[in-house]
Amino acid sequence: MRFTISAAKPEDCKDIERMIMELAVYENMPDQVKISHKELERDGFGPNPFYHCLVAEVPEEHKSKDGNTTVGYVIFFYTYSTWKGRTVYMEDLYVMPEFRGNGIGKALLGAVAKEAKDQLCSRLQFSVLDWNKPSLDFYMAKGAEDLTAKEGWHFLRFHGMALDNLAQEAP
Amino acid sequence: MAKFILRKAEPKDVSDILRLIKELAKFEEMEEQVVLTEKELLEDGFGDHPFYHCVVAEVPKDNQSIEGYTVVGFAMYYFTYDPWIGKLLYLEDFYVMKEFRGYGMGSEILKMLSETAVKTRCSGMHFIVAEWNTTSIEFYKRRGASDLSHEEGWRLYEIDKCNLLKMSSK
Repeated sequence: MRFTISAAKPEDCKDIERMIMELAVYENMPDQVKISHKELERDGFGPNPFYHCLVAEVPEEHKSKDGNTTVGYVIFFYTYSTWKGRTVYMEDLYVMPEFRGNGIGKALLGAVAKEAKDQLCSRLQFSVLDWNKPSLDFYMAKGAEDLTAKEGWHFLRFHGMALDNLAQEAP
Repeated sequence: MAKFILRKAEPKDVSDILRLIKELAKFEEMEEQVVLTEKELLEDGFGDHPFYHCVVAEVPKDNQSIEGYTVVGFAMYYFTYDPWIGKLLYLEDFYVMKEFRGYGMGSEILKMLSETAVKTRCSGMHFIVAEWNTTSIEFYKRRGASDLSHEEGWRLYEIDKCNLLKMSSK
């Protein structure tokens, strides 16, 4: 099946919002999605974007059951390791189920790998839920390492009330 | 000894920052993994599009460390993005030299970062901690942090340079 991978444009944000929700439903956390295409537009485009996004598109004759031609996306941004320097962090990678098996996921990941190489990044990091076997298999086949298992890293966060409380005690 | 200031790092601080990075890596038993240089820290943190932001803790000269240092702590952070909740502040490294602990520097740095997060419209402050580092985990949990790996099952993965190059050429 023919498809193209290209940098997302502001007008793609409604499709990206739709697919973000599809991925959140798959991850059993749809109620955690709080932002819409408006924030995505504001935060992803302009002189200082907070994320980068690539979208996968199919021609009109291959559109989805619901009439969509934007069928996959990847969101990533640059982070920094005090050990290794510039790093790419891949936040979301998703292809609509009816378009899987055509190499779209592989192409999106390859495109991010190329950006990483062009920006002199030494590695790509991302996180996966421990029960998500199809994704784990996909990434392990490409040489991914589980750093939570290997080095014991856990993700922690301050959010909501905890963050406000911490900030209110600031000098 | 209680006097110290917290300030934004400047280009002249890179050698102190690298020294503290190596001290923290040594504590995490991964000193040999630090390949970053002062030159990279300078280019990547103080150019037109910095990859990171840094605050340092400084003591007066009459309170300098045993080896004569006045920059005795640092925190490195940057902004990331969660497609569900938007902008986040990501805390990459956070360290206070052993001989300067117990004076509240760590708490003050964390409070300053959380204030930055709130001021810049971030929905949260995220970071990673090694599971054996119970002192740090307790420090964060006492202040209201939650462990997403434990609560939701998130695991950190990495694809190294060699495999990245293979993928980018296909």
